[in-house]
Amino acid sequence: MATTAAPVLPDGHRPNVPSAARRFPGIGSYEQVDREIAGTLSPTLGWFAALGIAILCMLVGATTWTYQIHEGLGAAGYQPPVMWGVYIVTFVFWVGIGHAGTLISAILYLFRAGFRTSIYRVSEAMTVFAVMTAGLFPILHLGRPWKFFYLIPYPNWRLIWPNPKSPLVWDVFASLTYLTISSTFLYVGLIPDIAILRDREKNPIRKAIFAQLALGWRNSDREWRHFTRAYLFLAAFATPLVLSVHSVVSFDFAMALSPGWHATIFPPYFVAGAIFSGIGMVFTIVIPLRKAFKLEHYITLNDLDAAAKLCLFTSMVVGLAYVTEFQVAWMSGNNFEQDYFWNRVFGQWAWAAWIMLICNCVVPLSLFSQKLRRNTKWLFFLSLTTNLGMWFERFVIVEPSLSHEFEPWQWGTYRPTWVDYGILLGSFGWFFMWFLLFIKQLPVMAMSEVKETLQPRLRVAHAHAGDVDHDLTEGTVYPDDTGAPH
Amino acid sequence: MQGVLGAFHELDSAVEAIEELKQNKVGDITVYTPTPRHEFEHVMKHPPSRVRVFTLIFGLCGVTFGYWIPVWISDYWPIVVGGKAIATWVPFTILGFEVMVLIGGLMTVFAMFGLAHIPRLTTTVGYDPRFSSGHFGVWVEADPDRVDEAMTILRKHGAEEVRRER
Repeated sequence: MATTAAPVLPDGHRPNVPSAARRFPGIGSYEQVDREIAGTLSPTLGWFAALGIAILCMLVGATTWTYQIHEGLGAAGYQPPVMWGVYIVTFVFWVGIGHAGTLISAILYLFRAGFRTSIYRVSEAMTVFAVMTAGLFPILHLGRPWKFFYLIPYPNWRLIWPNPKSPLVWDVFASLTYLTISSTFLYVGLIPDIAILRDREKNPIRKAIFAQLALGWRNSDREWRHFTRAYLFLAAFATPLVLSVHSVVSFDFAMALSPGWHATIFPPYFVAGAIFSGIGMVFTIVIPLRKAFKLEHYITLNDLDAAAKLCLFTSMVVGLAYVTEFQVAWMSGNNFEQDYFWNRVFGQWAWAAWIMLICNCVVPLSLFSQKLRRNTKWLFFLSLTTNLGMWFERFVIVEPSLSHEFEPWQWGTYRPTWVDYGILLGSFGWFFMWFLLFIKQLPVMAMSEVKETLQPRLRVAHAHAGDVDHDLTEGTVYPDDTGAPH
Repeated sequence: MQGVLGAFHELDSAVEAIEELKQNKVGDITVYTPTPRHEFEHVMKHPPSRVRVFTLIFGLCGVTFGYWIPVWISDYWPIVVGGKAIATWVPFTILGFEVMVLIGGLMTVFAMFGLAHIPRLTTTVGYDPRFSSGHFGVWVEADPDRVDEAMTILRKHGAEEVRRER
């Protein structure tokens, strides 16, 4: 006889605050996991509406890009000396967003952080789509997008290869490797779950598609044995990759001699910022998702609390990096550096710098409060300010340096045009279009991994099983989304 | 390929059945489980996966190739850039690392596919869709004269369903 009771409280609510004894107190059986997660795949009116908005935004971006190709890159608001604008800012922004996914799925996997289980699939998908989005921007920035293949390492007709000492070539290698490994990691993790969908599916066409994608997976001991090892090694490879990719992106700046860019702090500064912004985007996606799909008992308040602590920590690292930059400029004795940083915070770019500082350093301090870390409405608001702040961080890195270099006669300014804004909007539409399509075709949560944390059915009761069931039937109040457990 | 398939609702019943089947050496056993369970690893006593060997070998191949590409490119058409040496190992470490991760990671997955015998075209023999959901399955590949013995053992340990397959 099974020893795990269906953990539904008398008032119909599912508890969503884990305890040491039970990771997912609202989940009672393997079948419940399949039923509830597979249930999220049915399209709803809200999903169609969201997809429609995303496609509309994407079309705005595509139309704007077409206009830019016709009119030339001058339509995008570039004016000497500022020849890197919103496209490079947004490229770095989306690469950064793509970092939290592999951080959560790979690094937290190696560290055995339990809270990753419920959010890593969404984060991995977010990573892949964010890197796909980021990849568009260097091509957009070229002005002649049909020349993008020049960076791919193969020789031209005179047998000259791209310069392997150039950070732009490193960037191509790093971004493509990251996209390939992240996509592979996402797909490999999905195989057992696709097999579940294959076995449940009634529609013959969908069943045939799932059967192809599942590669004939049968959940045998042989398959699991090699799968778990391969997943571990892939995580071990992906971990340094996460750290390397944004370091390489930072070299695009740090290898140049411009004031504000030529600093050895850039790699760790960029990596911390990327993780911070990625966690912000995870909240932006996960919080509405758990509400819309009624997954509060999977993505528990403790999971959000733990992710919020990571957000707070990375925010403080980013804040430290900002302070260090100022300190290095102050102590360098270099007038150009000092003048540049003064101009950034109190001069021409003060408005952008203060948006960055308030959003990235001041607002996240609220996460010292446990009550706010467990308040989903606050976390969602904070995720929006984080996204805003991190976009402005990249703006503040790119524009002030180029507009305020060594010679005063070279100083200038930069003002994005409607073309920049249209393409920026289009990038969000592109990202969310893919994401929304993903969540209705494939499970948003790793079903087999959630099952791994559950107690299996046993004929002979486990020593602790009685305690767990006792807790659940005592009428404990588990508030949903508000405050700490009573 | 013929044998007996038992579907269990409880983990410990399946483990006990496997123990007895192995003790009596009835035939080759395959276990189906919706999620990896250490109980099965203990009872099946498989050696460690050889995936790691492929990871190591192809990771090393990747890093070698990753260094070789830029060195060869630089040497093929030597142009001095920024006063630096033609072949400089420090910036090439980035390419070496990225190619190591790319080749090592992809070959780890291909090795897993090869060792786990996927992709496979069919799941029909010795498999039941319940095994991806909540049931544990035990497939015993037994000679015709030992099929009854295998069925008896599976039933004795509480298999919900036992059937012959070929």
